[in-house]
Amino acid sequence: MQTSMILDWPWQVLVNKYTLSKRQVVNELSTFYSFLLGFLIALIIGSVILIIQDKSPGDTFSLMFKLSIGSVNSLSSSLNKATPLILAGLGIAIINTVKLWNIGAEGQIFMGAIAVNLIYINFQFSNSTSFIFILLVSSFLGGAFCILIPAVTKVLFGVNEIITTLLTNYIVIGLTIYLVNGPWKDPDSLNFPAAAYVGKEVYLPNIFGKLSYGFLICILFTAFAHYLKNNSVFGYEMRIAGGSEMTAIYAGINAKQKAFFAMLIGGGFAGIAGGVELLSQTHRVSTGISQGFGYTAIIVAAITGMRPIGIFLVGSLFGALSIGGSVIQTIGVSTYIADIIQASTLFGALIIQFFFNYQLKRVDDG
Amino acid sequence: MVDIQFLGLLNATLQAATLLFIASLGELITEKSGILNLGVEGMISIGAVAGFITAVNTNNIFLAIIVGVLSSAIFASIHAIVTVTLKQDQTVSGLILTILGLAVSSLLGKNYVGKKLETKLESLFSIENPSNVLEVFLSQNIIFYLAITFTIAVSYILKNTMFGTRFQAVGEDSKAADSMGINVTKTQFIATCIGGAFAGLSGVYLTLSYVPYWTDNMTAGRGWIALALVIFGGWKPYRTAIGALLFGFLEALVPRLQTYGFELNPYIVKITPYIITILVLVLLTIYKGGKTGAPKNIGIAFFRENR
Repeated sequence: MQTSMILDWPWQVLVNKYTLSKRQVVNELSTFYSFLLGFLIALIIGSVILIIQDKSPGDTFSLMFKLSIGSVNSLSSSLNKATPLILAGLGIAIINTVKLWNIGAEGQIFMGAIAVNLIYINFQFSNSTSFIFILLVSSFLGGAFCILIPAVTKVLFGVNEIITTLLTNYIVIGLTIYLVNGPWKDPDSLNFPAAAYVGKEVYLPNIFGKLSYGFLICILFTAFAHYLKNNSVFGYEMRIAGGSEMTAIYAGINAKQKAFFAMLIGGGFAGIAGGVELLSQTHRVSTGISQGFGYTAIIVAAITGMRPIGIFLVGSLFGALSIGGSVIQTIGVSTYIADIIQASTLFGALIIQFFFNYQLKRVDDG
Repeated sequence: MVDIQFLGLLNATLQAATLLFIASLGELITEKSGILNLGVEGMISIGAVAGFITAVNTNNIFLAIIVGVLSSAIFASIHAIVTVTLKQDQTVSGLILTILGLAVSSLLGKNYVGKKLETKLESLFSIENPSNVLEVFLSQNIIFYLAITFTIAVSYILKNTMFGTRFQAVGEDSKAADSMGINVTKTQFIATCIGGAFAGLSGVYLTLSYVPYWTDNMTAGRGWIALALVIFGGWKPYRTAIGALLFGFLEALVPRLQTYGFELNPYIVKITPYIITILVLVLLTIYKGGKTGAPKNIGIAFFRENR
């Protein structure tokens, strides 16, 4: 076979004496290396943007570094910021086990917070620890409720879940805006539309310094998600259900049922992200509950190949990036630089991943 | 004399539909080649900001349209490189294209928030206050007529020309198309960029005509509705156009309901188009019983050695 037959466009134009083939053995750590190189590429892209804006990349990045992980306090802020990101990312990874996408984490985060406030204003418990526990459970249920319609329509009728979960974001955020401007509006919040603060008795306390117990919840959920995906029977069944329809039938696995529960659990993870964010950070419902955590969580989950431990690590890094991104506003650098670095990291990683999965081989003449 | 409110509703419907439709027609072309691009929202945003910045700085509307369209096409080529040339996951790449597009456009548009356009895209036949249905149609700007032309052209090319058949073969069975001697990856690459160009045109329509200013995230989910419209239309240009008119009508009707005497909460009213979109999507999927008309190869990267 001729060389030019094997390479497709534009490879044949770029390197016409090579063939492209899939590697039989892919390096186990390829996702990790791709991430590192992708991050490097993203930092270079970020530097170029900063230079165009007449800002020194060295100064900016070192300031970001110092203010995000340079001290115990700033590290705590970064980990607090990472918490909802990681929780939502874990939810996306669980749903992806059945090869479905959850683009609705942003809405589920809001729904988790709404559920917390709904229970808080309607019920009172004397024991604050059990009250916090009940509120966290309700945020999980809120997130699961939020994905109920996409889940039901997916398993019953095969409606595209990417679009339905995405559209629920706009619905839930709209609902939040309605609540904080209408029934839940706190008259003391003046012009800023927000619900009243929850009482101090249900604040999630800090482990030490600024680091919230939310982060501990995050660690527990990471371990749980890892177990669920890799070591549990349910995780095994989810993988089969997400693989081939025929295999699932032969194995006697109800693929639709697994998909349904995977979606509810995944939605619940994002919901609890909203609950933790409300009880530990914002302490009230407003449109500021999530600053795009649900979308960034998609990057975090995808970049790690949907691995819970990876999500925990990359989520922590991205939390630090967000903190860094928000503080550099003070020196006149756009906060969007953090978003661009995060998105570029994934694009960089995708490009590098190609070279781990495929192999360009030189072909001798004749 | 036709009711003035009705004419206003018709005008708003046509404008909202044009905005949605151009982006979905571009996505339709991309998906027909077997590439799913979930980055429509980001591409519209890039076109919108690029066109707006050009218009503010040069006051040249046509240059602004060209810059907006080209920027989005180039931006879409990121998706083409990652998914077509490097054969990576189309869902992931498309999603990130949206996030990146929104971030980049916010960064570029930072100094243009609140700026006013000196010249916006005027109607082609300079009719200021249309007094009948025909005049409403004639009072639209050039992009509206382009949208109609593209619908007819794309539908004709796909159905009646050899080029269209060969093009669709790529999306239906890329290996068969390859053995017929069609350059699969080149076709997909170009189709993805064309999809970006259409999204860019939609973005330009947004900032130069529909709402002539720039704010962050002003696309407000329209890119996602455009994606839903392709499914709604069963990957057929005319049906997609009907879907766009339906959604345009909803977008136009909802804020007017109060003037017709309905007492509605404005915050709840704002979310109804999204609820209706889900409802329509569900009903449509049930009605078609899974036979949606999607290109068979959609989402699967073409790789020669696979055969």
